[in-house]
Amino acid sequence: MEFALSEADTAFRSDLVGFLDRELAEGWNRSECGLGSAVYTDFSRGFVRTLAAKGWLTPHWPPEYGGGGQGAWQHFVLGEEMWKRGEPRGPQYMNVNWVGPALIKYGTEEQRRSLLPPIARGDVFWCQGFSEPEAGTDLAALRTRAARDGEDYILNGQKIWTSYANEADYCFLLARTGSVADGRDGISVFLLPLNTPGVEVRRIDGFVGEHSFNELFLTDVRVPGTCLLGEENKGWDIVRRTLAYERVGAPRYARAALVLDGLAGWCRAAGLLTDPGVQEQFGDARALCEAARVLVYRVIDERAKAKEPSPMAYQARAAMVQAERAVGDLALDVMGTEALAEQSRGDAQFRNSLGAGIAAGSYEVQLNLISRLILKLPKG
Amino acid sequence: MDFERSDTQRALLDALGTLLNRHAGPQRCRELAARGAYDHELESELRAAGFLDVFGEADAGPLEAVLAVEQISAQLGAITPVPHLLVLPALGLPVPEGPVVLADRDAPGPVRYGGEARQLLVAGADRCATAELSPDDAEPVPSAYGYPLARVVPRLAENLAPGTSQAMINWWRVGVCAEALGMMQRAFDLTVAYAKDRTVFGRALGSFQALQHRLAESSVLLEGSRWLTYEAAFRGATAESSAVAAAYTMAALHRLTRETHQITGAVGLTREHDLHLWTLRLQAVRAELGGLRAHRRAVVTSRWGVAAA
Repeated sequence: MEFALSEADTAFRSDLVGFLDRELAEGWNRSECGLGSAVYTDFSRGFVRTLAAKGWLTPHWPPEYGGGGQGAWQHFVLGEEMWKRGEPRGPQYMNVNWVGPALIKYGTEEQRRSLLPPIARGDVFWCQGFSEPEAGTDLAALRTRAARDGEDYILNGQKIWTSYANEADYCFLLARTGSVADGRDGISVFLLPLNTPGVEVRRIDGFVGEHSFNELFLTDVRVPGTCLLGEENKGWDIVRRTLAYERVGAPRYARAALVLDGLAGWCRAAGLLTDPGVQEQFGDARALCEAARVLVYRVIDERAKAKEPSPMAYQARAAMVQAERAVGDLALDVMGTEALAEQSRGDAQFRNSLGAGIAAGSYEVQLNLISRLILKLPKG
Repeated sequence: MDFERSDTQRALLDALGTLLNRHAGPQRCRELAARGAYDHELESELRAAGFLDVFGEADAGPLEAVLAVEQISAQLGAITPVPHLLVLPALGLPVPEGPVVLADRDAPGPVRYGGEARQLLVAGADRCATAELSPDDAEPVPSAYGYPLARVVPRLAENLAPGTSQAMINWWRVGVCAEALGMMQRAFDLTVAYAKDRTVFGRALGSFQALQHRLAESSVLLEGSRWLTYEAAFRGATAESSAVAAAYTMAALHRLTRETHQITGAVGLTREHDLHLWTLRLQAVRAELGGLRAHRRAVVTSRWGVAAA
């Protein structure tokens, strides 16, 4: 066992920290506040191009697709430092973490050539079209249809909770090419340009940070067969393999720990940090953030060794949810009504923590998977 | 980073497992507990096999010593592994024969093996003090929690160097985490096996989602405790890493105790069932160093540089 980064990764971290100190000095004061606002998204557009120019937007991609060929730890250190600053890449982490890698692994040469360079340059946003009104966590129940028509597909259906669809250029979309009775075996992945006629985006205002959700209505949307990723009806496999690390891809504990440090500063100024009860709550929240960190590291170690992803990722993800919730609750408890002020630390963290156990697969689903795959408990 | 056990660690744990199979375990623990006795035989076997020297060895070290403490506790070894394997070696002190008592000036109370120990180590404000104990210094305290307890009032103490107190407390914290980890894991494994075997209302107890989620959450707490504890040992028990590990592990201990007993039901409350061998001893670990509240406040002191009011 070894709980230290390699010298190269440590050196990379310090380079990166210096770079972020310089680049984020101006125009970025949102490190502890909400994700998803217009100001935030606009800032991220410029910032990711700067990162791309430095080779740090897609350092883990193979060099032939605009990557730096770096290892899993360097990629993870990048993510951790970004989340420590409130994730200035905005919606881009999705592109670079899993949309790109899915294209690299399952795309045709033509798809790779046309779609990867814009991602590597930071020029495009992608969104994720998985959830539907009748199928959120239960993806096998999805109903959006893709019917073959000669060389084309005609898409009809509805997606929901699609973050950033109002800003995105493409959607990584799941649609049913088989029958509903096929469950997971009749699903395919489509790479859908959102400017295709028949696509309508409707905004649903959320109250988690400044974030908004969207609905995506697809009415007789005609796309060429070249929009299909991988084989028809094999979309579930692509998603399962590609998203295996998505559970821990966003190191949210790093942001929670940043907020916690900020809250400690606030409490110190307010004369509260010497209060034994307040101290206990801070100690607990810090321990939860650290546990989430070390459990995520364990998953990254597995990835760095190129092992098949194990169900440990679900434990790591559950720990991240616990950490975010603890910091959100602490914020409201210690700040009192000050936490109710828009964009205060308490406000941002609490509203964020409400979504922690819902986005990217619910907390309960993680617990079900742990029960079944790690503890091997019998089915209900 | 590398979360896998090295060949050295595996070999060490295999050898220790073989030794413990012969000299520890629930049966041996029950016999000793009936007499309130310390396992001198186990200690001398461990000493002869070199396990008390692991902390300072070139091809092993503190992390390996922590792994050993965990395994000894899982097998209910009736010795004092934390002072022997971690705290005394960390302070560069010789490891005497027989039990050694660790005490915290700020958290007085009955101590494990206080009646039988001949040596005491107390954490003061800055320096540790060591003291020889005689049987007259100890007042036994009857207790159901698996360890013989006594209040001790030493007569003569000798102060160690400045700063020793913090080092002692940090390693002691890592030590109670390792002990807790070993015992929690066994209590949890036993409970999961029970949940699979026991049938109620025509189905396995462990097939009810209400219980599955609680067991799954417990497994997260257990794994979090494990890796925070190992990491703290790897980092040389810094004030923050050891306080964080203890704050998390002791909270896990509280939850694990409740869940394992709730899920095993009435049978888990009996002496004939093994669960209590681990869960009652866990409570002695839970109480040391001021317990959960003190660990959490120590996190704040080390992280944000604030002392308690």
